[in-house]
Parts: sequence; structure tokens; C-alpha cells
Amino acid sequence: MTDTVVIGSGLAGLVAAIRLALGGQQVTLLTFGTGGTQLGQGTIDVLGYTSDDPDDPSVHWPFDELPRYAGAHPRHPYARLSADQVRRAVDWLATLVPDLLIPGDGRNHVVPTAVGAMRPTYLVQPSMVWPDPTSVAVVGPRQIKDFYPEMTAANLEKTAEVTATGYHIDLPTRRGEAESAPVVYATALDDEQFRLGFATEVARVIGDEEVVCLPAILGLKADTSWRIAKIIGRPVVETLMPPPSIPGMRLNEALLAIAKEAGVRLITGSKVVGFEGASGQVTAVTLRQAGRDQAYPANSFVYAGGGFESGSLSMDSYGEVTETLFGLPLPGADQPRLITGNYWKDQKLFSLGVDVDKTMRPVNATGQAIYNNLYAVGGLLAGAIRWTEKSGDAIAVASAVQASDSIVGKETNV
Amino acid sequence: MRKLTTDVVVIGGGSTGIGVLRDCAMRGYRTILVDRADLAQGTSGRFHGLLHSGGRYVVSDPESARECAQENAILTRIQPDAVECTGGLFVVTEQDDPEFGDKFLAGAGATQVPVEEISVSRALAREPRLNPSITRAFLVQDGTVDGWQLAWTATQSAVQYGGQALTYHKVNQVHHANGAVTGVSCTDLKTGEEVQIECSFVLNCAGPWAGQITHMAGLPPVAVVPGRGIMIAMSHRIVNTVINRCIYPADGDILVPVHTVCIIGTTDVKVADPDHLEIPREEVQQMLDSGEELIPGFRQARALHAWAGARPLIQDDRVAASDTRHMSRGMAVIDHLERDNLKGLITIGGGKLTTYRLMAEHIVNAMEEQLETSHPCRTAEEICPGNEPGHNYMITHRLKDREADRMTSPIICECELMNREMFTTLLKEHPHASFDDLRRQLRVGMGPCQGGFCSSRVAGIAHEEGVIDAARATGLLKLFLEHRWIGVWPILHGDQVRQVALDDWMLHGTLDISHVPSPAQVETDPVDGSHTGDDPPAAIRKPVSTMTASHAATGQQRRSALRPEETR
Repeated sequence: MTDTVVIGSGLAGLVAAIRLALGGQQVTLLTFGTGGTQLGQGTIDVLGYTSDDPDDPSVHWPFDELPRYAGAHPRHPYARLSADQVRRAVDWLATLVPDLLIPGDGRNHVVPTAVGAMRPTYLVQPSMVWPDPTSVAVVGPRQIKDFYPEMTAANLEKTAEVTATGYHIDLPTRRGEAESAPVVYATALDDEQFRLGFATEVARVIGDEEVVCLPAILGLKADTSWRIAKIIGRPVVETLMPPPSIPGMRLNEALLAIAKEAGVRLITGSKVVGFEGASGQVTAVTLRQAGRDQAYPANSFVYAGGGFESGSLSMDSYGEVTETLFGLPLPGADQPRLITGNYWKDQKLFSLGVDVDKTMRPVNATGQAIYNNLYAVGGLLAGAIRWTEKSGDAIAVASAVQASDSIVGKETNV
Repeated sequence: MRKLTTDVVVIGGGSTGIGVLRDCAMRGYRTILVDRADLAQGTSGRFHGLLHSGGRYVVSDPESARECAQENAILTRIQPDAVECTGGLFVVTEQDDPEFGDKFLAGAGATQVPVEEISVSRALAREPRLNPSITRAFLVQDGTVDGWQLAWTATQSAVQYGGQALTYHKVNQVHHANGAVTGVSCTDLKTGEEVQIECSFVLNCAGPWAGQITHMAGLPPVAVVPGRGIMIAMSHRIVNTVINRCIYPADGDILVPVHTVCIIGTTDVKVADPDHLEIPREEVQQMLDSGEELIPGFRQARALHAWAGARPLIQDDRVAASDTRHMSRGMAVIDHLERDNLKGLITIGGGKLTTYRLMAEHIVNAMEEQLETSHPCRTAEEICPGNEPGHNYMITHRLKDREADRMTSPIICECELMNREMFTTLLKEHPHASFDDLRRQLRVGMGPCQGGFCSSRVAGIAHEEGVIDAARATGLLKLFLEHRWIGVWPILHGDQVRQVALDDWMLHGTLDISHVPSPAQVETDPVDGSHTGDDPPAAIRKPVSTMTASHAATGQQRRSALRPEETR
């Protein structure tokens, strides 16, 4: 018997499933795809920028900023979660994957990106620590087409106030190949022989720079980048790249392994297409499997289906915006100007989502929970534009922890 | 200041101007074409991609139909790489007048436009997504044509004959003395340099902008009435044959498979300024409704990008009504010697891309008549350079090419299968080009991801190749994304919302592109300022039924007021 069904295996879904299972629940995780963690940057964002101060939008101490930010954005998920809750949730996540996430000290890190930005984020992987150097070498293999070291270097000179030089190495993972997929390259770097050749070649081309920036393809294993740095003899920093994200895959794999270890039953490749419910209670969700629809009954349901990017939120050709599984209300969806012609401005469309109470249950216009055992977490939640704020990961983690604790607490109380 | 001397200056680098450049050069005139933007950046690059069989006009305008049929065959032969021989279908839907099919067949017979009526089941076998409730279907020889490819290979042909095309050269003044044209002064927008071109003849092929040119010559205004039409590119080849509604020419009556997409068009609305073309939500809804009538489920298909083009309709009282000697159908020629007593200037308006070569022939004939000389036109005889005789474009060509060279050059734009070598070769030929300029020849960023994956790659490559510095590369990258958005936001819905969310997540979320410094302005951009403001889309939450009815009514009015073939 399943106590709780979790829908979706992005960061929010995995965290909820793990937290529930560790809390003693029988958990079934239903997921259609592989989850969004592998598309993200593989760090944990809390709050990187606020649009409120155009002169200095960067956030340095995110938890100090959260109460003010939540006050200014009353629909934001951070208005449902206290700064303390968010901090405890991400701290707990760091303890789950100690090889992959460095414990936070309250202050944002900055990490270089492939276009040469210095991007704020909160928890980073050990391969991404920026040691505040005065000179960096940016090195990329010619076979990686999402990384152009000269351009990264030129822009880092402005954004990181360093002297930076770009270098190429020419090292195919397989002989004669013009391009390598990042996964192929990362897998090759996990191999000792190839890694040695790679690091030796990097060491050969660079000058006397203090630090070496390499594309974020340094192995699917957590310690590969450290081994590379050891051979080169200088600190190495992974530079964020477009997906597929190798750091994201590391995180995803680690969390998936923990979920399985904790006894989560995982059902992949099938889509949840409907639900059964009565008098304020969801009784089952319907999974479309080969040949038939199958009902998955449970006591509680955690909906971690993601936002527009995953199709849980959708806008049809008439401009009607809906949540596609439970038909949950989306406050503000009928306002005009959801999309505008200014590319650099946040589009309101992407801040639409499900409004929840403090336990993460979706609520109606009067603030009442619509189903007393349905919880919504992660990218579904209203009020944040995650990619400009750099806030999506902590929203996912904290909302998932809060929903799970509400479920476990409630059943304990019963 | 740069000084040039030539016989003829052609103003306007659309299909008409380029056709004229090629024809003049082949007849032995020293000819320079100038355009304030890139080749075919205006109307010739903003249409639905149809190479007319003539079928569209067999009832409404038989002479046009005949011309289209002839020119279709000629372009398919002389510019094969720009033309895909898709074939076309005219279909009668349940909403359409069933008798029009008989008129259509009769008109085709009279104009010698090849048409074959086929059974509905055969039409559905050929195009399975077609509305199964159609009542009749006619097969025609429609093709599709890439306006940019057409423009560039015709220009290369002209260059072989000594012609020159100066892009991003903005005309400031047309000079004349003693009743005759003496030259043109321009600004090179990429370098800021002034350019004086001495010449004895100017051919004004500026299309919707032709009135601005005659104004620069100090002449009484030529009335240009731009007619805006919107088009929407749908992801994938929903159909592989051009699908026409078998009705009197109307809005939203055609679906054209071009390269990797299908384009639905179009509308026709009188506008004041061809530089500011909106893509109104109501017209988008009208296109989607029309698509739904041809292809059930069209609204669930993925709309990638929309654009608006301006038809170059000229209405001028001073043109003698009887003077049709030099006209192709749908085209207006104003000889300023007759109109304004000024020698050496002819203004051309109207026309369609399918007959661009024929129009050019008529225009150069008109010029030679004024010059009292005559040379034979040979533009129909010679194949444009870079084209292999008989080797028409097929959608699979790039796949074949990439399979051959995938081990030597990485694929930079996966949607359109553009590799690094294609990009660097063209970039080095056009070191001042914006990424949009390169896009028009390479199609980079025109597929489903609309630049999400490839745009930062091309910026990195352009810098790495040493062609531009990092600041300019970053600036051009941002400009490219802004320009893509112009065509994305007005039609954004369905699966493309997922794509935009992913693109934003990558470019803004992961790469943090908006926090990389770049120059305030990298490019003057005369044409692409279409609609970048914050203006709200008009209310779009209307039920389908009222939408269709009200648009059918307004559509009717527009047609009678603005269709070129009817107003002329």
C-alpha cells in the first residue's frame, strides 16, 4: 500500500520522495521523463538577483534578503515559507549529498558561465568554488561546441575583474570525431587514462594563471574534477554550460540513488493523466501505461510536475492558461499583457502558478485548501520567475520538505 | 568620402531590384545596387514562400496566371537551388462555394496553367493531414522558393557580369541637374562613410519605400500604400504539398511547406508605415482558424515564429491609365520623364516574387526605351552561379551533406543542420554582418528552438575566428535573441511556451546572459524594428465562433479595398 504518491522526478519530486520515505512513508514516485535537474546548472539557488534595485541587483546574503523580498512579493513561494524554513531545507539537502554540495555559510557563491557571466548561486559543487583569483586560464576542448574559451575569458575580464586568457586543446574522446556530447566527454574523463591525457594537455597549453576554468563536463563522478586539478597542479573551476548539464546529472543520480535506497518505488516513462477525487479529497491518480490506465490510490499526493517548461502549466492557442492535471486555479491567469514584446523584461506568464497555503496545499480564491490531501511543490508554484531571480532550486527543495513534513506530521498526529 | 561612377543605380535590394541589377549587368550596363539593409530583408524575405503555379489567378486574373506559369518554369530552371518542386493542391472545403471548382478548371484551361482534378481519396493519400471533408481537389505545379537564396544567387550572377550590390548603404539624396539624373548619395551604415555614386540612370525598386526615394529626388509624392500581411511558420512539414483554398483569393488561404516548416498566410491590411508592421493577435487567430479548416488539429500544432511583410502597392494619379506597355500584372511603372519631366528615373511598384525576373525585363526595357537603345534580355537563359542544372532543392539535402561531413565540422544549429564550416565561411565573406544577416542565408536559429541552443555558439565562434571582438559578439548575440523574440511573442502558445521556458532557463537561468556587459548598441537596424514595445496583445479570449464570423466580415471588406489586382 502506498501512503503517498509523488508526481514528478525533478528536484522537488525527488526531495519530497526522499523526505517522505525517510519519514517512514511508503512512497510511489510516478514520472514521465527524467526530471529537470539534468537541465539546470547543478547548484542550489536560493535568491541571486532582485529586480528591486537596478543598480545592484545581486544578492550576497540570500537568507537576510528573503523576508524583505517575500514582503515585497506577497504571491511568491517565499511568502509561504520562512527564511528559516528555506535555510534548514537546503542545509538538510547538503547533508544528503555531502560529496556533491558544499555546506552553505549563508553567503552566495558566484560561478562563471560559458558566456562569461559570474552567476550568483548558494550551494555549489566542490568543482565550482571560485577562489577569487587575479588571473585565470579558460580552457576548452575543440570537440565541445557549447564552450568558446576566448569569449568566456574576454567577458570574465569584465565580470570577474581578472586577467583571463582562453586556450584550446584538441582532444577527441574518439579518434576523428568533430564533436563530443558532454556526457560522452564526461564519461571519458572518469577514465583514468583519458583523464591523464586531458589534464596533461591542459597543463601544457596554459600560462602561469592561478586558476583553470574548464567547461562543466568534468566527469559524472564527483571526484573527477579534483583528480584533474591534482594533475594540473592548480585549482580547477567548472564553468556552467547549457544542458545537458553534467553537474545536474551528478546531483540527479545521487538523489535518485538515495530515493531508491530509502525504499521509494519508482515508476518511470508513464504519464499521470487524471485523478479520482471526492468531497475535498484526492483518492487516486491515473497513470497511462501501455495498454491501459492504472489507478494509483494513496492517502496523500505530492504534485511536483514542474511549470510551463514541463507542460504541467500550459497556454492554448486562445491564450487560456491552465494547470493540466488537476485543473487547479491559477491566480492572475486572466490578466492582460501576460507576454510582451520586450525580450529583456520578465514575462508575467512565467510567474503564473498554483497558490498554496503554508502546508503547500493548493488553495482557492478565499485561501481554502481545495483538496485536503493534495500538495503542490516546485515549479508549479505561483509568484517567482525562477531563472531571472535564481531561486528555483531552493523553492523546489523547501516546498518539497514543507509538504512532506506536513504529510508526515499530520499522519503522526492522527 | 568614397566616389563611384556607374551607368545605372538600382535602389532596393529586394527581388525586383536584384532582378534589375542582374538584367542590366547582363545587357552590359555598369550597375550598382544599394539597399539600406541586407538583400531581401524587406518584403522579398517576408512572404509565405510560394512559387506560384498560376493556379491562384486562373479565375481572378488570367494574364497573371499565364505569367506565373511561365516564370515558375523559368525560375525552377535557372535558380534550382532556391526552388523546391513540392506541387500544390487546390482544395474545396465544405465552407467553400462548390461551383468555384468548375470556374477554376475552366480558367486553367484558358490560361494553359496545368491543373489536374484528382479524387479526394488520392489527395488524402498524398496529404494525410488534410481535412477529410474536402469535396474536390486539384493538383497544380506550385513550388516553394527561398527568397533569400533567390536574391543571393541572382546577385552572384549579376556580380559575374560586373554588377555590384552595396548592402547597408542608405540613400540620402537622388541628384539631378538640367532635367536629368546625375547621381545618388548614400551613407554606408556599417562604417558611417559617405558614398557618392555618379550615374545617368536610377531605377527606384524600393517597393514600399519607393515614395521615400522619389521624395529624396525632390519630386511630387508618389503614393505608396503598403499592405501588411502576416505569416506564421509552424514547426515541421505538416504538409509536403502547397495547400490552397480553392476560392477567390482571400485571407488565410494558403499553407506552404518551406524548408523545415510550414507557413500559413496571409492577411492584407493597409498600413501607414512599412517600417512598423504589427502582428495583431486578431490576425493570428484568423490564421489559426484558417489553418484549422485546412488541417484539423492545426491549433494544437506548434507555431514557431510569425512575421509581417508589406506589399508594395503604388497608387499614383499621374500614371497614364493607358500606359500598360511596360507593365507586368500587379506591377506599376512610373516613368518620371513623362510624369515629372525628369530624365533617368523610373519608379517601380507592386509585383510578386514569382514574376520578379519578368518584371525586371520589363523595367530594363522601359529604361532602354528612354535611352533609345536596345539589347536582348538573356536572364531566362542562364543558370545562376552555384546552382547545379536540374538539381532542385529538397528538404533532405542538408541531412545528406551533414552525414558526409559530420566528422570534420560540428553541427552548430541542430534544428536547421548548419555546421560550423558553413557559418565561418559566410562570416568571413561578410565580416560586418549581424547574426540575422547570416541567418537569412544559413537559416541558423530558424527552427523549433528559435536560437535557444545555437545563438551563444555562433557568438563564440565569430569571436574565436577573430572576425569580431567579444563585446560585439556579446552584443550581436543579445540583438539576435531580441530579434527572434519579435516573431515569437505574438504567436506564443502551446508547445512553444515549453520551448521558450527552456530557452529562458538556459540563457538567463544557467548562463545568466543578461548580466554579461555589452555595448549599448551594436547595430543600426532600419527594418527589424517591427514591434518591440510593451504594447499589450489585443484581447484574445474570444470564443472561436465569434472570432471566425467577425473576421470573415472584415476580411471581405479588406479584400475589396486593398487587393492589388482589384484596385488597379
